[in-house]
Amino acid sequence: MILNEMVLPIIVVLAVLVGGAYSVAVMDRVIATRLGAPRAGNPWLSPLTRGAWLLVQQANVTEAPDGRAWRLAPALYLALAATGLALVPWSETLVATDLATSVVLWGSVEALATVVIFLHGWSANAPLALIGAYRYVALGLSYLLISMFVLIGVALPAESLQLTQVVMSQEGLWNVVRQPLGLPLFLVVGLGMTFWGPLNLADSTDLAGGTASEVSGPPRLVWDVARAAMLVAFSGIAASAFLGGWLGPWLSGPLWMVVKMLAVLAVLLWLGRVVPRVAPERCVTGMWVVLLPLAFVDLIWAGVAALWQ
Amino acid sequence: MELLTLFIILLFALGAGWLVQWLPQRHSSMPTYPQRAPFLGGGSPDTHAWNRYHVRYYPMTLLLIAFEMEMMFMYPWAVVYVEEGLKAVMEMGMFLAILSVGIVYAWREGVFKWQ
Repeated sequence: MILNEMVLPIIVVLAVLVGGAYSVAVMDRVIATRLGAPRAGNPWLSPLTRGAWLLVQQANVTEAPDGRAWRLAPALYLALAATGLALVPWSETLVATDLATSVVLWGSVEALATVVIFLHGWSANAPLALIGAYRYVALGLSYLLISMFVLIGVALPAESLQLTQVVMSQEGLWNVVRQPLGLPLFLVVGLGMTFWGPLNLADSTDLAGGTASEVSGPPRLVWDVARAAMLVAFSGIAASAFLGGWLGPWLSGPLWMVVKMLAVLAVLLWLGRVVPRVAPERCVTGMWVVLLPLAFVDLIWAGVAALWQ
Repeated sequence: MELLTLFIILLFALGAGWLVQWLPQRHSSMPTYPQRAPFLGGGSPDTHAWNRYHVRYYPMTLLLIAFEMEMMFMYPWAVVYVEEGLKAVMEMGMFLAILSVGIVYAWREGVFKWQ
């Protein structure tokens, strides 16, 4: 019993955390090459080479950093990604943390991510890193509400805040069809949470790397892995909330989850490569004035559809 | 049981994140001071980065708090929504309508402009 309920889920979550981060790095390189970026080595090997290089590189320090917080932030971000992954149900029974309030816990992961990313930029005590951190807080506080409304939308037909119940409620029709606005809005949240591609305001090149501009060596490795792991955790939640989770014919539940998560990741990474970065000052207005009302519409849509049945 | 599993996963991730940073660097020396100057694209900083700084989007963060409180009511509401039917629609509709007026007002006041 303890093997099935604890040891197996823990192994699954940790394996997906590491394997998922690696596959994000591989997929991103493959997509970049397909889109015409100059080919930089073998896509399967180059993430490992870069990781090994970061591991032996000297870790940079600034003149007067908040040393402990600086080392804590990447580890905490990784822990948040692990928490998110722990909520993802792989089948009806294989789920690490099947809380009655797992949607609420995911909401708190999103909110705490803002704190951790700000901490990462703050503790370096360097201007560019701090600007990245302030920019991220503006973004993080703007996408938070969109995410909450969209997730409440999937909780309505399930009559529960439990992710397994949310998946079960999609037996007849997946939420991506039933609430068509939900998944696109939630993908924006995913790009924001990991400050990826168009929403990379925190670690962008115009700030010479932003919150990570002063970070090198092993701390940089943990930070990069945590970012990719957070993207994986997000894709797991998105697949459960909108793409029917483990449900599907022929294949077994966990395999369906892997397929759906890879599909979400492919879309996110492709978007990250083709959409240009938005201007930070415009992104706040856009999120509150355009995307938030759309999230309202999604919630009303979800509510009407849930009562109609 | 569920929370214990979550706690173990959290400990593993935190521990791994900390160990990977600490183990390879435990014997290496710190970079020299000229190397430790914050990067400013060639310039050198004449103040701490942790100065007082006017965050221009400050009113937006206050507006967010109003909505976050509203989410607190929305979580239990979502669970009983189908059961309560139209009554739940009305109640949340009124609540959201009032908050939306707040957004429109904040928009007019330029809260979402960040310059």
